Amino acid sequence: MNALHILATQSTPSVTSDWEQGLLTMQGDSYPENSFEFFGDIITWIERYLKESRAPLRLELRLVYMNTSSVKAMMDIFDMLEEAHQHGRQVGVDWFYDPRNERVLDLADEFREDCSFPFQIAADG
Amino acid sequence: MDTIDLFELRAHFNKSRILLCFNGPISRSLIEEIGNALKNYLQADHAQPSAAMDVFSVYVEMTQNIRHYAMAHGYDELQSSATVVVARDEESRYLVQAGNMVEKADGEALLARVQALANMDKTKLKSAYKAQLRQPRDESAVSGAGLGLIDVARKSARALDASLSQVGEQHAFFSLRATI
Repeated sequence: MNALHILATQSTPSVTSDWEQGLLTMQGDSYPENSFEFFGDIITWIERYLKESRAPLRLELRLVYMNTSSVKAMMDIFDMLEEAHQHGRQVGVDWFYDPRNERVLDLADEFREDCSFPFQIAADG
Repeated sequence: MDTIDLFELRAHFNKSRILLCFNGPISRSLIEEIGNALKNYLQADHAQPSAAMDVFSVYVEMTQNIRHYAMAHGYDELQSSATVVVARDEESRYLVQAGNMVEKADGEALLARVQALANMDKTKLKSAYKAQLRQPRDESAVSGAGLGLIDVARKSARALDASLSQVGEQHAFFSLRATI
């Protein structure tokens, strides 16, 4: 069971995974009441990938609004990537945002401040 | 004469520039549905995308905090009621207000917390937010564990305004207002 495919709901983003490509994508708003329940499967997938594969891992994010509990869960994910990076693993994040909404840039930028692995933030389209 | 004068109520809403209000037991799906209505209102009101997101964000943090509090205290449906108002002030800023019943001691602690946040500038609030983000998670907590209130304070253009109205011996109504 290496695949992770979650359809978006009003309060949770869509998630896709590609083990062979080492790619995880998340797109949409994230403000579930119980973020740790929602992010649990994603965290498990990343943990397994970092442990069982030696290939690079890239996160492609098009997240828009996140509530604080989603931010906390996302920080846990970036901490995992940071630790892997410190051990010489190739990891990276690409965060795309709609340039009409600068809040998304602020959000992504605050995460990037705490990461030393490659973390690109780019306007979409 | 205990009839509700809708016309008068409407006049009051209009005079106070209330865009949206809610009073009653609040569920997870109601938070999403009202949030959706709020997004549509803000769009129709030609709010800047960043302001619209701040208003939505403050609304979500406040109402989810109320839900988490009610669940943590095992409150029944009636006790889990929230009062939520989104309005505009004279300067066309958005006001987001939410209130709920709390244990009196919790209400006093919350007031003190809001006061402490009110004394911080944006830089200090950011440090407080990042410090809170780094706090180890309480295993039983499903929420953002204290991040929500700091986040609301960061998004508010003016210092947060909170009040406490005593209800009976043990309870109080806690009310919080942010300005976007």
